[in-house]
Amino acid sequence: MPLEQIDQLIKDEYAFFLQERNGWSLTTGPQDLELVAHALRVLLHARTTPDFLADYLALVDCQNADGGWSPFSADQESTVWVSAFCGLMLIRGNRLLKHERLTQSVKKAIDYFLNTQHQDGRWVDSRWADLDTTSHPVSFFNVVRALGETHNWGDVRRAWEQGLRFIIDHQSTDGGWYDNDFHPSGVEITAHLIQDALVADLVIDSRVRGVRESCAKGAAKLYEWQAANGSWDEENVDHTMDCSRSLMVVTRILGDGRGEDIILRGLRWIIDNKNAQGWGDFPGMETNLERTCDGLDTLLKYKASCNGNPLDVVRLWGYVP
Amino acid sequence: MDPQHWLEACRLEELPPGSRKLVKLNNLEIALFNLEGVIYALKNRCPHRSGPLIRGFVDPAGGIKCPMHGWRFNLRDGSSERPARATVYQVKAENGLLYLCV
Repeated sequence: MPLEQIDQLIKDEYAFFLQERNGWSLTTGPQDLELVAHALRVLLHARTTPDFLADYLALVDCQNADGGWSPFSADQESTVWVSAFCGLMLIRGNRLLKHERLTQSVKKAIDYFLNTQHQDGRWVDSRWADLDTTSHPVSFFNVVRALGETHNWGDVRRAWEQGLRFIIDHQSTDGGWYDNDFHPSGVEITAHLIQDALVADLVIDSRVRGVRESCAKGAAKLYEWQAANGSWDEENVDHTMDCSRSLMVVTRILGDGRGEDIILRGLRWIIDNKNAQGWGDFPGMETNLERTCDGLDTLLKYKASCNGNPLDVVRLWGYVP
Repeated sequence: MDPQHWLEACRLEELPPGSRKLVKLNNLEIALFNLEGVIYALKNRCPHRSGPLIRGFVDPAGGIKCPMHGWRFNLRDGSSERPARATVYQVKAENGLLYLCV
């Protein structure tokens, strides 16, 4: 796929994303924090974070006393999944912004996750499957480790390893992860787990045994699940973006060249099913901001994955500084 | 019939048993399902992450599962084990037309 086409799409979609700023920016009023985190990720990967310090400070302002965040910024009850996404964007954003209030906020977030882990290593959030929920604090701790944050370091390392073990121990023998209540097909969970929780260890210090094999089996399952037209999960745009992005980082770290064609087929389907501006949840559906952020993120990661240096795409997960 | 509440959604023949249909009334997307002759109407957007319930998975126990992240709702009353309910609408048929109370 010509990179000029990707560049033009990124330029057009980023302009649309900025035009819709009132829909995602905390500086304009209360927001859905999952959407805010999606938007901050776009800013990070478009390398425009330094222009949006006020958005990061607004995210700190709505952090709850326990260190977590709520699904909606005006609420006060923390939930794990969104807290991890917000914490992740803060620690990654602060690498560029280097702001004391963000530094303190990240420490509070670390304490929140240390205080909410269950004894068997999982984290629980009634809005998401336990495996998916657990992968998010693990992902946050991956970046905490990668960036050398030392707050409560020993406890972080133990919690991270327990979470990772919980995920590895629940992998099915066919390579996928499933949740009968939330996601029986397993597609989205498998894509999330290998990219967010597992593969980072291979880049950071290969501390946990079995990660490489687990990632390879998970990636192979994603290959198998792809439809002939390049999509995943009944033409689900979100899950096709998840799988494509997941394979971009996992196959690059594993050095598995089989993923290239599969990623490209996924990307072509995503582009073919874009609306005039942005993406909807399924082909033909109206554009929504969250999917548009995911689409932009997918394009930005694909562009990075085309660079000669394999670490360029890994950097967009925060696993290398 | 109170025109302020009951709105015509579609012709009954457009929604045969086993089918589903998306309609838009008062700028609101509503997902219609015909399960063995009983018609159910829900707001199309899942209260979790706004996933389109019209693309959801219907089960024999009368539930629908959102295709995005799996939240399941009772088609009859919108109840769920998750921390939110789906919005359901009353349905009635008259003279071959389907009406929804919105």
